[in-house]
Amino acid sequence: MTAGEPWDVVVIGGGNAGLVAAITAREAGASRVLLLERAPAALRGGNTRHTRNVRCVHDTGDQYTPGAYPYDELWRDLCAVGDGPSDERLAAHTVRLSESVPAWMSAHGIRWQPPLTGTLHLGRTNRFFLGGGKALVNAYHRTAEAAGVAVRYDATAQNMDFAGDRCAAVLTADGDRIPARAVVCASGGFEANIGWLRRYWGDAADNFLIRGPATNDGRMLAALYCRGAARAGQERGFHAVAIDARSPRFDGGIATRLDSIPFSVVVNTSGERFYDEGEDLWPKRYAIWGRLIAGQDGQIAYSVWDSKVNRLFLPPMYGPVAAPDVAGVARALGLDPHALATTVARYNKAVVPGAFDPSRLDGCRTDGLSPAKSNWAQPIDTPPFYGIAMRPGITFTFMGVRVTEEARVVTVDGGTLGNVFAAGEIMSGNILSSGYLGGFGLTIGTVWGRIAGAAAAREATR
Amino acid sequence: MTEPAAGPAPLAGVFAAAERQLVICNACRYCEGYCAVFPALERRLELAAGDITHLADLCHDCRDCYTACMYAPPHEFAINLPAALSAVRGHTCDEYPPRPPWPASRRATMAVTGLAAIAVLAVLGGAAGGSGQAAAASPYRVIAYPALLVAAGLPAAWGAAVMAWSAARYWRDTGGRGLASPRVLLAALSQAATLRNLRGGGAGCAYPGDEPSAARRRLHGLVAWGFAACVASTVAAAISQDIAGDPPPYPVLSAPVLLGVAGGAGMVAGCAGLLALRRVAHTEPAREDPALARRGRALLAGLLTLAVTGLLTLVLRDTAAFAPVLAVHLAAVVACFAIAPYTKFTHAVFRFLALVRDNAEAGPAGPGRAP
Repeated sequence: MTAGEPWDVVVIGGGNAGLVAAITAREAGASRVLLLERAPAALRGGNTRHTRNVRCVHDTGDQYTPGAYPYDELWRDLCAVGDGPSDERLAAHTVRLSESVPAWMSAHGIRWQPPLTGTLHLGRTNRFFLGGGKALVNAYHRTAEAAGVAVRYDATAQNMDFAGDRCAAVLTADGDRIPARAVVCASGGFEANIGWLRRYWGDAADNFLIRGPATNDGRMLAALYCRGAARAGQERGFHAVAIDARSPRFDGGIATRLDSIPFSVVVNTSGERFYDEGEDLWPKRYAIWGRLIAGQDGQIAYSVWDSKVNRLFLPPMYGPVAAPDVAGVARALGLDPHALATTVARYNKAVVPGAFDPSRLDGCRTDGLSPAKSNWAQPIDTPPFYGIAMRPGITFTFMGVRVTEEARVVTVDGGTLGNVFAAGEIMSGNILSSGYLGGFGLTIGTVWGRIAGAAAAREATR
Repeated sequence: MTEPAAGPAPLAGVFAAAERQLVICNACRYCEGYCAVFPALERRLELAAGDITHLADLCHDCRDCYTACMYAPPHEFAINLPAALSAVRGHTCDEYPPRPPWPASRRATMAVTGLAAIAVLAVLGGAAGGSGQAAAASPYRVIAYPALLVAAGLPAAWGAAVMAWSAARYWRDTGGRGLASPRVLLAALSQAATLRNLRGGGAGCAYPGDEPSAARRRLHGLVAWGFAACVASTVAAAISQDIAGDPPPYPVLSAPVLLGVAGGAGMVAGCAGLLALRRVAHTEPAREDPALARRGRALLAGLLTLAVTGLLTLVLRDTAAFAPVLAVHLAAVVACFAIAPYTKFTHAVFRFLALVRDNAEAGPAGPGRAP
């Protein structure tokens, strides 16, 4: 292209939402679509690299998702996490459109596989794509390339040049000015920007580990706020899980996650329990534990179990500490041995005998213990004993920009930013408040990537 | 590895490197749909050296897991499982055959064995040379049947015996079972015959580049089935000669010739194709242990030599070049039989045993469903 001639659509961000938006924009008639990927090719895809499934409405089962998952049930599940949907209209829109997502993905190169082993209870509601998120990113890049989408790697968008209320060009950290008729911001949250997190979390943010790349610093989100974009979502809204305290500060992804919690007791630095480890099925509860640990002293907690349950969850990549007795586990974890032994003894005494069954809510619970453990409670009494220290692993932040049903970015004065659209995590706060539903981030990204891509193409070609 | 690992002994070298990666893979499991390696890994909480050997041979090197891995370099976890497992396979190739009866480096061993085979053939050919009474275009004009039997039979028997020995040690170290079960054997045979584990769960192989492709599986199939057809051709010739009493040469439209031509052509196309793919296979970073890559090329070159010289003896059997070409082909056959148990040829044996063990472990539900 000649210098200065604008692209029809410039997509900022090469994760799921950005790729879907770019492909859709091309298919919707935008002839020149450019995708800006901040990472080098080998690390492309942002947080999407760490995903593995997508949660969508389906009225019948098939070989990959055995059993129906109707609209009402997904809606109920969404309402049951955190404070429920932020904007019920947009959330309902998302759930409704989710039904067409798997077929769209299949048509754009995504292959599926049966639910992964060890992912208890996710098989009916969530569809697993073959090879996980990086394979998905690779497939979408192939599709995008075949569709004629241009991709620029190592391209960090950080601002926009406005002419009136319309964005005229995207500005990169390298000083490039990329003229555009329409822009889709799919640049993710700000979870890797520790300074930004500190505004809402104080010193606790220093103990957060970030599960995705260090480049998710939210600089486009900040630029949009500067431009008058309205905020959607809670300041402290994020998807965070319990991960191994030994994980790298950034980009540890799925392998650092710990699924031992429902089969263990979890204590804080005082060696005391603080929440019901068996409250509900793990896929419905794993996403609360990052936040729970973020609320403990030093943002650290410890999961302790025994050899009876050692094979019931994914083996932790760094391995647990092991000892012949609970006090030994405490010493290895740097906890007060007496305090932990007392907590475990009190818990063991409170366990009501029952038929243990990891595949369902088995009602094996404690009696007279506070907090209670409502399911999968068994005495921790069979050596060797195991333990692991856990920290909050932040997956992505929800606070982003408010959008219309057409994915247009809304401004604080009630208008829109003309030709600027948003998709994915950067607008997930329109839908998610404080809780998270596994696999729904991919759903949001795909649904809104399609909406934003199509709307941007219309904007550019009208 | 020469002894079965007793308990979770600390692993070293290629085993430690593979274990470091496999532990991360077992905590991730995204690649479960690609091949049998990951379900087999998931059945294990602890990895002894024998387990890692087993997983390495179960790996058919499709490389899909590398392309799909968010932890591949430059990520700090630096996962490159195809390279790590191929290094273990190289170690298996080295360690399982008994030490050869001559003290030498591996390269010297190869050279000495090859040269000795050629020398044996020359001596036998000179002393017990062909008979003028054999038909034109019959190998027995060049070398007498008993001499041929000794020249080819001895190294063949040696090669088979050494490989059987290696296989037995391998089977013991990897703790295998299931050889006696028809279900398990049939499943393993069918997976080997179709190269099921090179299908990448339907995606194909990420080879030679990052794009999915069926080229590797098809070409490997040509080599394997071509080799089988050549063996069948030899068997058919033996039946024609020793049972039907019909000495060579055989007409074009006969089982020995048709099988030999089809097999030879398949091997030529397959080996040449695989060698060509190797020239353009990814290097940044390499996804195969360099030593094993050299052995892979050597195996392909050897098989290609066998196939080309074999086809030439057929094409030139009515010309003056027949005798020298046949001598070269026979020398190649003898040398290859003799050194086969010390080459990557053994991967066929180890991989089949790994498939047997995997099917025995996985149970009737098949791979992919850990208990």
